[in-house]
Amino acid sequence: MTRTRRPGISRRSTLALMGAGAMTVAAPWVARAQAKTIKIGMPTILSGRVAQLGTSSRNAVMLEVEKVNAAGGLAGRQIEMVIRDSKGQPQEAARVARELVNTDGCELLIDAEASSGAFAVHEVARDLGVFCIHTNSETSALTADPKQHIPNAFRTARQGVHDSIVGGSYAAAIAKAKGLKKWATCSPDYAYGRDTTAEFTLYLKRFAPDVEIISESWPKLFQPDYTEVVTKILQAKPQALYSCLWGGDLTSYIDQANIYAMFGQMEVFAVNMADYTALTVVKNLPKGIHSGNRYIKTFPGTPENAAWGDAYKAKYNEYPTNWSWENATAVMLMAEAAKKANSADGKKLAEALAGLTIKCPFGADGTVTMRAEDHTLVGYAIGWGTTIPQEPYVPEVKAGDWKTIFELEAEWKKSKGYT
Amino acid sequence: MTELEAGRAETLVPGRGVTTVWERYRDILIALIAFAVLASLPLFTGSKALLDFVIRCSAYGLFATSLNLLVGYTGLTSFGHGMFFGLGAYSFGLIMQRLGVPIPIAFVATLAITAVVAAVIGAICVRLKEIYFAFVTLAFQMLIHSTILSWASFTGGDQGLRGGIPRPVFLGVDLSNHIHLYVASCALLILGLLAMRQIAQSPFGYTLRMIRDNAARASFLGIDVWRAKLTIFVLAALFASMGGMVMALFVSGAYPEFAYWTISGEGIFINMLGGVSTFLGPMVGTVLLLLLNDTVTRFTEYHGIVLGIVILFFALGLRKGLLDFVAEWFAHRREAGEGR
Amino acid sequence: MDLDALAGCLSSSACLVTQTTSGLIIGMLLFLVAVGLTLIFGVLKVVNFSHGAFYMFGAYFAMTAYQLTGSFALAMLCGAAGTAILGLIFERVFMSRVYGADVLMQLLVCYAFVLIFDDVVRIIWGPEFRSMGMPAAFQVMPLFIAGGVVPPYYLLLIGVALAAAVVLGIGLSRSRIGKVIRAAAHNPGMVSALGINTGLIYGGVFALGGMLAGLAGALAAPVRSLTPGMGFSVLIESFIVTVIGGMGSILGALIGALLLGLIRSFGSLGFPLFTEGLMYLFMVIVLVSKPTGLFGKEAA
Repeated sequence: MTRTRRPGISRRSTLALMGAGAMTVAAPWVARAQAKTIKIGMPTILSGRVAQLGTSSRNAVMLEVEKVNAAGGLAGRQIEMVIRDSKGQPQEAARVARELVNTDGCELLIDAEASSGAFAVHEVARDLGVFCIHTNSETSALTADPKQHIPNAFRTARQGVHDSIVGGSYAAAIAKAKGLKKWATCSPDYAYGRDTTAEFTLYLKRFAPDVEIISESWPKLFQPDYTEVVTKILQAKPQALYSCLWGGDLTSYIDQANIYAMFGQMEVFAVNMADYTALTVVKNLPKGIHSGNRYIKTFPGTPENAAWGDAYKAKYNEYPTNWSWENATAVMLMAEAAKKANSADGKKLAEALAGLTIKCPFGADGTVTMRAEDHTLVGYAIGWGTTIPQEPYVPEVKAGDWKTIFELEAEWKKSKGYT
Repeated sequence: MTELEAGRAETLVPGRGVTTVWERYRDILIALIAFAVLASLPLFTGSKALLDFVIRCSAYGLFATSLNLLVGYTGLTSFGHGMFFGLGAYSFGLIMQRLGVPIPIAFVATLAITAVVAAVIGAICVRLKEIYFAFVTLAFQMLIHSTILSWASFTGGDQGLRGGIPRPVFLGVDLSNHIHLYVASCALLILGLLAMRQIAQSPFGYTLRMIRDNAARASFLGIDVWRAKLTIFVLAALFASMGGMVMALFVSGAYPEFAYWTISGEGIFINMLGGVSTFLGPMVGTVLLLLLNDTVTRFTEYHGIVLGIVILFFALGLRKGLLDFVAEWFAHRREAGEGR
Repeated sequence: MDLDALAGCLSSSACLVTQTTSGLIIGMLLFLVAVGLTLIFGVLKVVNFSHGAFYMFGAYFAMTAYQLTGSFALAMLCGAAGTAILGLIFERVFMSRVYGADVLMQLLVCYAFVLIFDDVVRIIWGPEFRSMGMPAAFQVMPLFIAGGVVPPYYLLLIGVALAAAVVLGIGLSRSRIGKVIRAAAHNPGMVSALGINTGLIYGGVFALGGMLAGLAGALAAPVRSLTPGMGFSVLIESFIVTVIGGMGSILGALIGALLLGLIRSFGSLGFPLFTEGLMYLFMVIVLVSKPTGLFGKEAA
């Protein structure tokens, strides 16, 4: 492996004069481009409350990059990942992304930022024209809104609206069967929470028209205490509850709702429950919570998927997260696109990637596709099921139907004025 | 203590009205040279990262130096100064996105909006003293931050202003061009610093120092303390808002984090790092903090520990900002030399 | 805004009881953190910005002790004792060096430790969120009081917090140590002239403050997820509490915490999207009308 430069500034004392710093920063820029290895920059969150997003994304990427490198690399060039922490601040995400391209000589970006960080990196991709795959932002607007569209950016994460369509139809079927008419929602008060909840209720009501939302709660993201929210929902006495809380917030909520014995009183639909991070952490997981699949090695129930989950577990001694498969898919797609284009050049990769279908352990039918029209991933495994407190956690997952998803998504886009 | 001594030393300089004329020309001269050096930088280096660094220094430098007008010169420790940084970024971004006016108009309009908001908030805040002033500014900051988050239809909520900020060409300046943006940021920084220097050295600036050292005495001398404090609060807000606009242009967006208390915290931190008793202390602090941040995050994800230890070194070791430390060290040596 | 829901709740006794107790629960846990903050400020004149870290350590200590021993009581004890020791070391080794320095210097030292402590937790316990789990003894059906729902675990929580309030209140005003502490807060020079070791008092007060935050963290551990940086939002809220109640006033912290709890529990009904904004608004109003807080003394 020919490394063209070494970490420059580290050896300077931190009190180095700006001029000296300037020179070390400037030098590598000149040496760029001739490198035989290809550097891929990855801004992500490695510290603070959602550090797990970054670590599990990084794990998955490294797992796949090793495979690609062993097989000869990206169009013959060995991949070198440069992964940096943005601390979850959008301005830092933008800075880190720019620095990765301008200073470190990264020719491609895997943007493993969440929420507003992804939009910040998206603007960098727009400015610099660098090839970029968003791997963790599920906000539909990132790719659905034509104002956001740029030829060099893609998304391999789930899309909120897909989840909502599948969730809505699944929940409607149960609502009809069990006569659940009065619903409450409880979702984190930020874009993902608001959009996903609105879309879920839209499709729930569409498939089960007599459903009524009688109470809405909007706790803050990372709120430590949900007592007032739990009691508010208990007051409303709904028959069913929808929530898109996730991670530590979801487990806190479950622990706190548990001691109010809430789960015996209503059917709970928590889209983000079936992820190992949440499933393995909650000590007293109530039985029968309905959840969308996040990552679960038994769905799709193929040997490839199980093998991937086990390989990850063997290497890192923990189960993959939803973020893991999304990031792994990004590397898989890049590798295939590079084969097709026979180049690792960002522009050619982007052309090859649009519309590309690859074999993938996370595909609903064994394949996933990077849709050409809006550069977002489709065909990934998506489904809902009920949880049990031990492995396999979600014994049966009812798969969503991609044909329905496409139809309703097109309609949704039209209603939003996106097409 | 050093702050007070420095302040007194300056007030005791005889015939300061005479010296300021020379000083003013000297400042302008220094500013011109600094601008010439910065603006010619792209001729010598192709490093976009270095230019990025200077742009960020401009944004944070304007912000931190304006905070020092309050903290160092007036003794008003604001924990909420970041709200004007955020306000600048958001107003500018929203005006450009919604109205599509030329950039200079958006710039002036943003300053006007900032002035009005700062006047209203300042009128309430500057009545309070010491730590209570700090608290109430912090509370206002958090109020503005929650409003940005809650008013999602207008501000984009937690996702910030999306879709990029349009940067149409005006007077031959194209801010979507990296070099143009760089030169414009440098110009704003130098102009801003020069203006703040003028304020600090003006009779009004000395009034502020007097208020800091002894508000009661200033009041006896017939100074309207409330009005003076409010004036500097609004002026400082304007420069912070300029910093926010530079940041908005740099990231082509505005995010609620810009109005969060952490930005104010960083501003305070920069001031402590660089020193509050010299005019350029905050600028030195800005360069230090950004260098520190950029280098440490490159090499470890445990940057909290590294940054924490560096802070401890400053707080417990030097016990003052770097430039203050250097200035004192020089003064000390000179004194020792004279004594001999 | 959903004022109908708020009005509807105010006219129903079941809702009133549930939401009031829910406000009480939020408030009492907040009080435990805030009272340590206000105590440290009252005596040492230090705004302990790293207070949230003690809450965090309390929770992690409790979780580890619970996993090792399976005893809930031991877990609480470990959470409280561990943070008390931590507080003592922190004060003696670091904070004691910046007394008399600029307030900003003190803040800076605290800020440094917020950064360091968060990373230390990440190194020891990992970046992922953890959960302690509810002890079996409290996994019982909630009680129904006047139509309102109250879980037994929260009764324990309120009880502990109330006991702490009473012990602190009486201890400070009646006991000899309490009198010395108050004297030290008022005039440290005089106290040390009387041959009392003020350093010991300062260290003790800091340890006590840390212990209270740690206890709050330990009590919260069974119902809240544990992550590095978890102390942060708690710090902000307890900070608001102490400012509203008056820095240095224990009664103020109690009233402030309860007010905030009630704002949260009823605000979430009437203003589900602006509950947090309401708290800041309230803080602004209090500060502007009475800068020293509801129960603060002018000279504090």
